[in-house]
Amino acid sequence: MDKNFKEEFTQIIKFEPPLYKQRHQFVRDLVEKYKPKKVADLGCADCSLLWMLKFCSCIEVLAGLDICANVMKEKMHTLSPLPVDYLQPSERSLTVTLHHGSVAHKDPCMLGFDLVTCIELIEHLEESELKKFPEVVFGFMAPSIVVISTPNSEFNCLLPRVMLYRHPDHKFEWSQAEFQSWALETARCYDYSVEFTGVGHPPTGMEKVGFCTQIGVFFRKYPQTGESVQSEKPMEAVYKTVFKAVYPSLKDEKYLQNAVISEVIFTAQIIKHRLMSKREEYSDDPERKSKFQPSMDCFSDYLGKLVVEKNMEPFVSGNEVYIPLRTIFSFPKVNRLCGTFEKLCKLIAGKVTLSSDGSAVMFNIEHENEEN
Amino acid sequence: MTGRARARGRPPRQTLPPAAVGDAPPQQLQHPQQLQQQLQQLHGPPAQSEEPGGHGHLRACEAPLQERRPEGLQVSSGLQDLSLRDRGGRRRDFHDLGVNTRQAMVHVQESKTGFSGKMIKLTTNHFRLTSRPQWALYQYHVGYSPEMEARRLRSALLFQHEETIGKTHAFDGSILFLPKKLENKVTELFSRTRNGEDVKITVTLTNELPPTSPTCLQFYNIIFRRLLKMLNLQQIGRNYYNPSDPVIIPNHRLMVWLGFTSSILQYEENIMLCTDVSHKVLRGETVLDTMHSLHSQVGEERFRDACAKELIGLIVLTKYNNRTYRIDDIDWDNNPKSTFRKSDGSEMSFVEYYKKQYNIEISDWMQPVLISQMKRKRGNIQGSVALIPELCSLTGLTDKMRSDFNMMKDLAIHTRLPPEQRQRELGRLLNYIQKDDNVQKELRNWGLSFDNKSVSFTGRIVQGEKIFQSGAMFDYNPQFADWTKETRGVPLIRSMPMDSWLLIYTRRNYDVANTLLQSLFKVTPSMGIHMNRPSMIEVDDRTEAYLRVLQQRVTTDINIVFCILSSSRKDKYDAIKKYLCTDCPIPSQCVLARTLSKPQTIMTVATKIALQMNCKMGGELWSVEIPLKQVMIVGIDCYHDTVSGKQSIAGFVASLNQSVTRWFSRCVVQSRGQELVDGIKTCLQTALRNWSKWNKSLPSRIFVYRDGVGDGQLNTLVNYEVPQFLDCLKSIGTDYSPRLTVIVVKKRVGARFFAEIGGGLRNPPPGTVVDTVVTRPEWYDFFVVSQTVKNGCVAPTHYNVIYDTSQLKPDHVQRLTYKLCHMYYNWSGIIRVPAPCQYAHKLAFLVGQSIHREPNLMLSDRLYYL
Repeated sequence: MDKNFKEEFTQIIKFEPPLYKQRHQFVRDLVEKYKPKKVADLGCADCSLLWMLKFCSCIEVLAGLDICANVMKEKMHTLSPLPVDYLQPSERSLTVTLHHGSVAHKDPCMLGFDLVTCIELIEHLEESELKKFPEVVFGFMAPSIVVISTPNSEFNCLLPRVMLYRHPDHKFEWSQAEFQSWALETARCYDYSVEFTGVGHPPTGMEKVGFCTQIGVFFRKYPQTGESVQSEKPMEAVYKTVFKAVYPSLKDEKYLQNAVISEVIFTAQIIKHRLMSKREEYSDDPERKSKFQPSMDCFSDYLGKLVVEKNMEPFVSGNEVYIPLRTIFSFPKVNRLCGTFEKLCKLIAGKVTLSSDGSAVMFNIEHENEEN
Repeated sequence: MTGRARARGRPPRQTLPPAAVGDAPPQQLQHPQQLQQQLQQLHGPPAQSEEPGGHGHLRACEAPLQERRPEGLQVSSGLQDLSLRDRGGRRRDFHDLGVNTRQAMVHVQESKTGFSGKMIKLTTNHFRLTSRPQWALYQYHVGYSPEMEARRLRSALLFQHEETIGKTHAFDGSILFLPKKLENKVTELFSRTRNGEDVKITVTLTNELPPTSPTCLQFYNIIFRRLLKMLNLQQIGRNYYNPSDPVIIPNHRLMVWLGFTSSILQYEENIMLCTDVSHKVLRGETVLDTMHSLHSQVGEERFRDACAKELIGLIVLTKYNNRTYRIDDIDWDNNPKSTFRKSDGSEMSFVEYYKKQYNIEISDWMQPVLISQMKRKRGNIQGSVALIPELCSLTGLTDKMRSDFNMMKDLAIHTRLPPEQRQRELGRLLNYIQKDDNVQKELRNWGLSFDNKSVSFTGRIVQGEKIFQSGAMFDYNPQFADWTKETRGVPLIRSMPMDSWLLIYTRRNYDVANTLLQSLFKVTPSMGIHMNRPSMIEVDDRTEAYLRVLQQRVTTDINIVFCILSSSRKDKYDAIKKYLCTDCPIPSQCVLARTLSKPQTIMTVATKIALQMNCKMGGELWSVEIPLKQVMIVGIDCYHDTVSGKQSIAGFVASLNQSVTRWFSRCVVQSRGQELVDGIKTCLQTALRNWSKWNKSLPSRIFVYRDGVGDGQLNTLVNYEVPQFLDCLKSIGTDYSPRLTVIVVKKRVGARFFAEIGGGLRNPPPGTVVDTVVTRPEWYDFFVVSQTVKNGCVAPTHYNVIYDTSQLKPDHVQRLTYKLCHMYYNWSGIIRVPAPCQYAHKLAFLVGQSIHREPNLMLSDRLYYL
């Protein structure tokens, strides 16, 4: 190749967005497309990919694995739930776990995943580790999809300052042919299919060098293995768990109950507020007051009729306001949270003051007007 | 408004009904979220968050935070993510470390303790930090040859030698801290990178830090906060909270998290952890939810105003990162579809940004965006951040919520812990720390531990004051710190006649007005107040109607204007106050009709109103003995206005007479960025002129009680404000050199004291003075508990004498301070701060909330703002 021509390229090549972001975006697109529930990132390093994935609403289990515990710990706190996650628990459940260990070892905690990503991982493996890697990932973990990305050595001539490898810790960097033959062989061996792609387009005129990062996406050809098969596998844990975060979720009865109680009382308050301000308008008018002398009883009589008719209307009796649970249940937010009326009743039992027959939320308004 | 100003501006919650709109007796309620509101720290960035910025004109978007993230300090094992600069690396000197004011005051070098009063056994919320004997932190510089760029690589290379440097270490890439000393001053280590390069690492001892050095203190604080994190507590603002066991108050859609404040400091003899229970009020709704409910409440027309009023100044949490932001503005011209400029110069809409960055779908595309000003520069970027209401959760309470009696009552049940319970909660925290293996291991490795029993010591209860009123002398029951009953029906020191006054009311409140009048006629004679029948004026219940009446009927011979308001609508109150404080300087009294509507309390209310009006017209109520002669006492407090034009207001109050019963009051209105102190200087000059007019000489002693000083501002005060005071005094005359004492008053302190009485813990009685053990060696400081509380724990007030040429003994300064807490005329009892501070606060609050400019100086010789 003409030296000057090459020089020119080494000046220019700069990926936008940066290559690491493109790799992450690639994984995210894949997640969006296949909606895996359980995702593991092998060689998760500073957890940046995991951090991004925690926002993907289809994922319920996220796991990270790295050989270096320190690098994981540095930013692992970013994977913890935020205060807002507690304030507004999400519908989905999410557990994030970080393990310290090697991809050359099998550990049962890695079983049952839908997607396993190995982003810029394999080139860091020693020869002996690389040899065991396919058996661990494809043979043992056996997820439905595996993503493996690695540098394409053919692209290196376009990168400035790359002497031997792109990173001092790389044990090798493969050409497209080398990677593809390894991938095809692995896929064949473990009954997977593989598709090749990449991120980081080569400059025009240099297309034949291929993507800067080459990616293989492997799909398992056989259906999900049953539990029985898994139990035959060695069940001894060799990874060390360094981090675990369980996100608050409405799937958890405790959070659901809190959410329902809050919503029920809040909804009831709104209804009560409307009812009371209507009453106030009515009683505030001094002329009307003198003419009609509307007493509490008369007013509740009027409402009482409605109750008979519809059994849904809130009403006042003496110092108490009653808001039927049926009415509250008809509010979309409450409805969505509980699903069924029975569930609603069950969740608020003993937590919300109800009328004697348990059909309505009851408020005492005796002292309220004094202070407001 | 700061939370603190808010706290003080709240209407009273005493058994007595409120006498006037917005009038707060200074007896303090406990703040539900103690130190939270005012000093919201902007936190360090979580991993990849990139802030969406405002729109071009607001600012360029921040550079990706990743790149600017300060290099954290790596700490061994459990504290791996510890950075010596703490989160985000923007540590402020909250504890005013390194401001050593005591060294300049010779007379307190030996001792700064008082002696009077009787002893009382106290415990506190301070826990001793203990370290191994001869403990030190060793600081090393680590050099690489050849030079290594990447921090991660530098750490990896260094930690290949863990057998030499040990498992416990803190390393930020060049500075290494170790709990033990290496054998040699300079240690050379050799490592090989994974691609075979040989590297020489030189570890050189640069510093041996004693346990009391500022770096060490900082280090302890970080370690402790990490411990809290290891206990799975969540950081919000500066404190850590337990999210797993919230108190839910569904009636108001509130959630309260229990948490802890913590600070480790060098106290008088020991390094101690001061920890207190803190409650974080969180709200289970987003800003958008709040906007929706506001819209349904106030309708389209007043919607924007209502939003501004309700939301500006609140602190929000976002759905996607762990930072808190203060809402400074609402941008109605933009919405989530608007674009902002990213750091790389490209434009992106908020919708796209949140989708791309956090996979968050914004559902409402019509909502406005919230603007939050960045308090400090981040890197070289300064400006504002735009936030989407839908993605923000509210924290804390709004003014409206604070004035909701029922809500505050419901909250108080959970937040006002009585002494025993408070100590129990703290005990639990210390217990967790003792029990958690990881935490213990980390502490052991650093050679540190905490006592699990708080320190005990003796304080003093100084003797109660005698209250003098027109020749009579009273004692008060120290248990209640109140002399309402004792002085009832006794003539005032100076009663102002109400010969000509106006009583303005709406038609609906005609009966109320008459009842009030009858009651006033009953209570005023015994006070010595001569009262004529007022001109009774009926008005429509509209602001303009009130104003028209004022314009037509108020003349200079009117003593006072009394308005009965039918609702607590602020605009009416503001308009009345503004007119009568600026255009037409006549004292005024506004009272809610509701306050007067209860027959069973009307006499008490009328009594209180009569006293208040008397003060507003220049009357004097009672006095205590002030043994110092020729003394002028000054109180200063600040109010930061958030709603209109970002003003800051300093209230300035100075005594005018020997008995400290008359005050000169002025205020300084300053727009953002200006220094308040210049205005304060002018105030001091006029105050001195007025003092000399009253006393035919200049004061020989001046005491300045300076409130409203934020954490970390002490240095500015010492180096800038005090010299300005001195300058000002010099400018009066060459031969004039009065003795000056400047005392910084702080109400929001972490320290709590509990009296050990009868085997249990109680609140210490008023008059309790603490000037040992938990004070700071580099300051001339003390605590006074002057008020009583009905519920919860009493909060001591901290006094820090930063400048003192009075030559008075500490005991006398303490006594004077306590005496002044008796002199606030809006409350016949002892309050939390010296009266001049409370007056200054009231003045600044009124101006900041309602008037927004300097009131007419004609009023400056009376307490018109009470």
